[in-house]
Amino acid sequence: MWETFGFEFVNFYLIPGLVLGCIYALGAIGITLTFSILRFANFAHGEVMMIGGYFTWTAMVLSNDLFGIPLHPIIAAIPAVMLAIALFILVDRYFYKPFRSAPAIRVVMASFGMMLVIRSFVQAVWGPNQLTFVPGIAKPNELVKNLTASVDMMILVPNKHFWIIAGTIVIMLALSWLLTKTKIGKGMRAVSDSPELAKVSGIDVEVIVKATWCVGGFCAVAAGVFLAMDLQMLETTMGFRMLLPMFAAAILGGIGRPFGAVVGGLVIGLAEELSVYPWLGDGSLISPGYKTGVAFTIMVIMLVVRPSGLFKGRLF
Amino acid sequence: MKPQIAAGLACYLMATTASADVVVGNPMAVTGPIPDLVAPMVLAVDLAAEHVNAQGGMFASGEKFVIARADSQCDPVAAVDAVTKLINVSMVTAIVGPVCSGATIAQADSVSIPAGVVTLSVSASSPMITNMESGTDLVFRSAASDAYQGVALAELAIAKGIMDIAVSYANDDYNAGIAEVFVNSFSEMGGTVTSNEAHEPNKASYRAEVATMGAGSDNLALFAYYGSGGITIMRNALETGAFSTFIGADGMLAQETIDQIGAENLGGATFTTSTPNLTTAGYAAFKGLAEAADVPSASPFVANSYDAAFMMALAIEKAGSADRSAISASLRSIANAPGEVIQAGEFAKAKAILAAGGDIHYNGAAGPQDFDANGDVLGYFSANVVKDGVWEGTIIE
Repeated sequence: MWETFGFEFVNFYLIPGLVLGCIYALGAIGITLTFSILRFANFAHGEVMMIGGYFTWTAMVLSNDLFGIPLHPIIAAIPAVMLAIALFILVDRYFYKPFRSAPAIRVVMASFGMMLVIRSFVQAVWGPNQLTFVPGIAKPNELVKNLTASVDMMILVPNKHFWIIAGTIVIMLALSWLLTKTKIGKGMRAVSDSPELAKVSGIDVEVIVKATWCVGGFCAVAAGVFLAMDLQMLETTMGFRMLLPMFAAAILGGIGRPFGAVVGGLVIGLAEELSVYPWLGDGSLISPGYKTGVAFTIMVIMLVVRPSGLFKGRLF
Repeated sequence: MKPQIAAGLACYLMATTASADVVVGNPMAVTGPIPDLVAPMVLAVDLAAEHVNAQGGMFASGEKFVIARADSQCDPVAAVDAVTKLINVSMVTAIVGPVCSGATIAQADSVSIPAGVVTLSVSASSPMITNMESGTDLVFRSAASDAYQGVALAELAIAKGIMDIAVSYANDDYNAGIAEVFVNSFSEMGGTVTSNEAHEPNKASYRAEVATMGAGSDNLALFAYYGSGGITIMRNALETGAFSTFIGADGMLAQETIDQIGAENLGGATFTTSTPNLTTAGYAAFKGLAEAADVPSASPFVANSYDAAFMMALAIEKAGSADRSAISASLRSIANAPGEVIQAGEFAKAKAILAAGGDIHYNGAAGPQDFDANGDVLGYFSANVVKDGVWEGTIIE
């Protein structure tokens, strides 16, 4: 039935790949920043994404039930971001800070434990069932569909995907400004390059650490909310399932390179979706059951050929 | 308050560790991809235990029939952990559960068969379970094999006029098992399978998959758990217009599917499930008891769960002790003819007959629970469509 559209590649492979890539990219930013500034792989990152989605859902439900105002997820995400940042900073203060000078493996294990704690907490509070984020199915935007159909390039994109792609671009621009133009952003880059040099030049490393959690928490909640908008539901392992591709994106882009993480996220997202396109003949290039393998093959090849990643990240 | 709490805690500890109780392990997928389906099944197991204890308990001394529950998460690894603990720490007499086929096979292979403990699954339906016990006679189930359901589903598809179909299944024992049976029988009946692909569960997007499969057919046979990708696949398929008709089995049959996708979008969806035959005397007996206890008697596998727990109590009663090795033979004895017919909930009656040296034949709420040589039972299946916002089933003849 697709011959009638003649535009299936863009609609069913490219745009979904971009949407997935945007979500990976936002998650990978937080991972790459923590990795380079705090020197450890934060396994709890996916769970903060997930709990951000649950906070947002709660804000939407409360607003609807108490005041009768249905909130758009992006507005409901504002209190969720604050809660998630508070959570990140509290966890850092009581669970990660005591290990700051210990070998990295201890704090990695602490973050692994934190991941299980947060997930169990969510299961205890909100229950193990899936929650409906937005019911129903998202039909393609009619205006864009008709407009593009008139020039024989019918593009089928539901509104939620416009929000996700536009939201990611806005966050990217804001992050770029923060990192290059503000004092705190420059401090973050300095600590990432060399914590000792940063310290002797008068930068308060603990302030930078807090700023890192703020940026990481913001991006994590954005990724979690976008993921929930795309899936239209919440479940307690949704963040964990994104964690490995996000690590792959961070490594691909180069550790400590936020824009590398974005490129890495887009590459991983697009590679997953495009690898099942019927490039040769009728059948999909590889069985869809193996598409995750594609993302990790790219990561492994990258680690072998160019361990510092696409954008010359830090080596550990 | 404090002494009361301490006293309560002490009672609780005594109740769970007292050696006089008969303890049966009950791994259920309380969390995992199908929590909505499992919640009423858990209630049914507890109801059976309640009936046993209210009617004199176990043996002449009236020991308590205790259910030791664990979370098998519908996951092979979690099930092995849960059952290992039940068998080695809780020292259970037998296992009632788990729910999912993959979990059942894994725990039986690596834990319960080596330990010589009987497993009586409440809902595992994979054809692979039929021959897995290899002469030990330790694996039973109270739900019918998908070797039958897959055929029923293929007949249903043909009857609906579906002649070509794309098949997508999650790569686990249950979904792959029923997909294989369906594909074989659908092809034998003259249908064309346009594509037959495994999908990876729990992905954020299946648009590429549905677009690729949708090129060949408008009909999708979907074998997945609703909570680990099934709903997302249906949503992506509907959003892109790739498929309009869906058929599938138990794993998708939850209210959650309707709540999330919307009843108005599910006009083309039909899912089959194991079901009690609502006209049998066995079901009628169970229905009254379940309604009195607010247990949804007609939900998928609820009657099977009750049957499994109740039969286990009868089998242990028949064996006369909580000894693990006697359960397999006595389970066959109470479930199969000959003997006086026992309906759901009639524990006191069964106990009296057994005490007098008589034979009993349990007539299941879900259907006849006569075990064949492989520990399998026959069953009924229903086709379910959305009506007024809920699933409504009709028995497939």
